[in-house]
Amino acid sequence: MKNTIRVERAVLNITQQELAEKISVSRQTINAIESNKYVPSTVLALKIARLFSKKVEDIFSLEETD
Amino acid sequence: MEQKLLLPNRYKKWGLVLLLPSLLLGILVRFKDFQFSFLTLPIGKAFVKEPHLHLDEAVNLTDELALTGIIVSLLFIAFAREKSEDEFIAHTRLSSLQWAVLLNYVLLLLATWLVHGLGYIDVMMYNMLTVLILFIIRFNYVLNSNKKSVE
Repeated sequence: MKNTIRVERAVLNITQQELAEKISVSRQTINAIESNKYVPSTVLALKIARLFSKKVEDIFSLEETD
Repeated sequence: MEQKLLLPNRYKKWGLVLLLPSLLLGILVRFKDFQFSFLTLPIGKAFVKEPHLHLDEAVNLTDELALTGIIVSLLFIAFAREKSEDEFIAHTRLSSLQWAVLLNYVLLLLATWLVHGLGYIDVMMYNMLTVLILFIIRFNYVLNSNKKSVE
């Protein structure tokens, strides 16, 4: 699964640390999700989407291998 | 996601503080036959199950103290909560445990075939601690490698 979190962060001009604080996770988690090392839970994906005021599908999308 | 069976974060520091003297004591016991004389207890024949083996009737508890200190401090370090616990850290902890148990038994199998005689007692002794040590190394390596990010 790939995601556009890095792009969305750039739009809002917030750092990984700031995003992490807003959704109550560690910075390692944001970094692992952005670098496609970790697939977040549904709860966390919904929180991220809500913060960026977008639908989950606009931020997360399936890859051919999924 | 609330993770049960974890200690408060401060136990990590306490574990590190306790590990140094315990490890030092363990090394002295293992390689220099060091003993605290005040830890020698007369246990009497009642505790010696096989009298024909002519076991000592006194037991020294220095090695028990050292091993207890090492195991307790490793448990403190391994199972202390991270400052910001979340689902990725919980996931990393579980996958690191799986990785550590697997690697531990691969190493044990290798040692079983490569080490023979009395040396195997050393293998078993170190193997008591390697699961925890491998887990601590792998868990902290993964967390740290995700800390170094490209901002």
